[in-house]
Amino acid sequence: MELLPQALIDGMMLGGIYITIAIGFSLVYGVMHIIDFAVGEWIMLGAFMGFYLNQWSGLDPFLLLPVVFLCFALVGYLLQPVIHRVVSGRQGNPLLMGLVFTFGLALMFRGIALTSFGFFSHSIPSAFSSKSFFYEHGEFFVTVSGIRLAGLVYALLIAGALHWLLKKTNFGLGVRALAQNRDAAALMGVDGKRISSYVYGIYVGISAMTGVLIGSILSVSAQMGPNYTIVAFFVVVLAGMGYLAGVPWAAFLLGLVQSFFLIYLDPGLTMLAVFVILFTILLVSPRGLFAKGV
Amino acid sequence: MATPLLELKSVTKTFGGLTANNQISFKVQTGEIVGLIGPNGAGKTTLFNVISGYYAPSYGQILLNGKDISSKPPYELAGLGIGRTFQVVKPFPGLSVLENVLIASFLRYPKRSHAEKHAWDILELTGLADRAKVSAAGLTLAGRKRLEIGKALALEPTFLLLDEVVAGLNPTEVDLTIELILKLRDQGVTILIVEHIMRVIMRICDRLVVLNFGEKIAEGTPEEISNNPSVIEAYLGDSAA
Amino acid sequence: MRNKIISWSILAVIAMSVVPLFVSDTFVLRILTEAIMWIGLAIAFDVLAGYTGYLNFGHGAFFGIGAYSTAILMVQANWPFVMALFAGAVITALCALAAGFPTLRLRGAYFAIATWALSLAIQQLALILTITGGPDGMRLPALLNPLYFFYFMLGAVTTTFFLFWFLLEHAPFGLKLKAIREDELGAQSLGLNPTRLKIQAFVLSAVPTGILGGIYAYWITFIDPASTLSDLVSDQALVMVVFGGMGTLIGPVIGAVLIFAFKTVFWAYLSDFQLLYLIILGAVIALCVVFLPNGLWGTIITRNGGNGGMKKSRMIGPKRNQKNADKTQKLAGALKDCVQKEGGE
Repeated sequence: MELLPQALIDGMMLGGIYITIAIGFSLVYGVMHIIDFAVGEWIMLGAFMGFYLNQWSGLDPFLLLPVVFLCFALVGYLLQPVIHRVVSGRQGNPLLMGLVFTFGLALMFRGIALTSFGFFSHSIPSAFSSKSFFYEHGEFFVTVSGIRLAGLVYALLIAGALHWLLKKTNFGLGVRALAQNRDAAALMGVDGKRISSYVYGIYVGISAMTGVLIGSILSVSAQMGPNYTIVAFFVVVLAGMGYLAGVPWAAFLLGLVQSFFLIYLDPGLTMLAVFVILFTILLVSPRGLFAKGV
Repeated sequence: MATPLLELKSVTKTFGGLTANNQISFKVQTGEIVGLIGPNGAGKTTLFNVISGYYAPSYGQILLNGKDISSKPPYELAGLGIGRTFQVVKPFPGLSVLENVLIASFLRYPKRSHAEKHAWDILELTGLADRAKVSAAGLTLAGRKRLEIGKALALEPTFLLLDEVVAGLNPTEVDLTIELILKLRDQGVTILIVEHIMRVIMRICDRLVVLNFGEKIAEGTPEEISNNPSVIEAYLGDSAA
Repeated sequence: MRNKIISWSILAVIAMSVVPLFVSDTFVLRILTEAIMWIGLAIAFDVLAGYTGYLNFGHGAFFGIGAYSTAILMVQANWPFVMALFAGAVITALCALAAGFPTLRLRGAYFAIATWALSLAIQQLALILTITGGPDGMRLPALLNPLYFFYFMLGAVTTTFFLFWFLLEHAPFGLKLKAIREDELGAQSLGLNPTRLKIQAFVLSAVPTGILGGIYAYWITFIDPASTLSDLVSDQALVMVVFGGMGTLIGPVIGAVLIFAFKTVFWAYLSDFQLLYLIILGAVIALCVVFLPNGLWGTIITRNGGNGGMKKSRMIGPKRNQKNADKTQKLAGALKDCVQKEGGE
């Protein structure tokens, strides 16, 4: 029972990270209707960039975030037309092909990472790493790690920024229009291709930044990708594909479930339980908890 | 009075708070051509979807030859003799024209060789034989409409639901389609047709059923309907009535 | 064209069956056996991916289920190989039914995620349960007879290939699957029951995979979650099918042969760069999707006017079912008038 508040806190922290993983992923699905199997790999690549930049410059990873964002956003922006071409082809099954394409990308990235960086696991040192906060209240004792808290703050900032972007700017209006009805939006002068490029770029940039963060809180390794792809899938399915408002709830829920299972159950069983839950949700309510998915 | 081929009894379809079809009842006798008309949004295509099994009615019944088919899925109804076309034509784009019709032929001719013969016949009849190997995605709109009808015909239906089959065709093509429909009726196919083009409706329909805002507001011969004040009001607004 | 393919296939099978007469090097035999296995895995994957349009990322799970079922029955219950294999096939079929009912209702993207999650869950299960030996895997009774396994594998895959050929290219089943793939809603109005067809395709895809898994288990005499339940099986099958040409049956065969040949050569001469293989796999899929979406064989067929050569000449002739002919005749007369007036459009 004493562990309950700790479990809750840990869950919230995890959830924060999961928000950033899933929010870009969900946005991309809503606008471009593709499921990016490479989401975990973008995170992994961002983490490595953060690691090496940190080694080279000595700067705290949190200061490196904007750099990482810009680099990867550019990559995503340039890559998007290729994806677009795949998804709008007349041959084959376009959506299926999009899946296969991103899957191929993921394999490629993982291979490149393994070849370049080997099987080792690193951690990115940060000023926040060593700070921790302790709270005591009666018999309850909670440790909040500084860096995880920073991660949560980061997540909320990103979510807030995206919210502002989508709801308060003309760009965001175009994005939302595209997500709802591509053709009508085009008729209204919304440049689908350009906006899709920006959206994909933003998503890749955010994912890479999240990678840096994960690298500081946990670790960086060439194999870390698929785990986070699963997280993205899980959160987005739970929230409802393309339904951004559901992402924070789903992310925190996943974080809580995981931390509870980790504290009270065996880690191996935790993964199994997560998969079972994901599977059950797909059966019972494929459009997410709020049934607002696409 | 013979058992009508199709009978709708108080058919109602709601989606959440929206009532798309409200207590619609009418009969279609064997050999008739009945037109289903009404302004846009009146619920015609929804009603088609209900009749052809894509939606189950929220309330009410649909009877085919006196038997309840309300909750039967589209593939069962095809077997029972109901064929339909779609307003937005649905060819199988990755397959050839021949393959498209072939799939429909399998319903009545499970053996492939028979089905192929039947499919070629349908292609000859709908004038698509020269484009048999072309991918369905490569047809013109007229071709695709023709293919749509061909596929429905390949099912050898006794009851045909036509959803705006002449939309987008030029006047010559429209006339030819009219001829086709009339010939089909002569061969014993009963037809329920949704259409906006008055010329077509007036020419081929024995009776009309008019929908507005999800309800049936009138039923009768084309002459009766064209003089019906509520129909005029529905299409043209109060001032014209 | 289709008859040519059958003749070539029969020739190829005969050629393969006499290979051991000329080649006694067990290493080569093993390579060939594995190549044949991958052909089988690829065509099984294509049934669901190419013909039905559903990417089953859990394809490898069926391989593993077949392998483990056979292994457990042989080791724990002392069943003879063939009996265990047969039981393994049945178990795989049942698993496919159980997994298929809920997942095939989902749309393509969700199905991919669901099957991916499922396969990871099964891998976890194998790691946790004791009956499967956990991470250490299982050892099977050893039968060191490369010839036996070569012919067994050849027999299994040949049977599968011709069965698939009959069902998918000759019988209506394949075309019906494609209809579902192209437009599920439209297909329903033509009398097709999508769920039933999809499940049939799913089971048809799973059973041979499970059987190949069982044979693999006995052949290699050692299985563990890393080798039999990893995503590498699904990944490679995917590449082979996409590269060869989805939905063509021959495409996956070609894809399997080429990719496997490449992999073998690669690992033989560039074993230092094993990880490079992953990169190349990924690059192949990505490039294929962009530049060659129909795959090698698919592009070849479409260049030649495609559609499997259904010839009109077969149709014209007096042999006809008289009862149906009358119906069609009536309709024929009616519609011919219309078309004649139009004069050809």
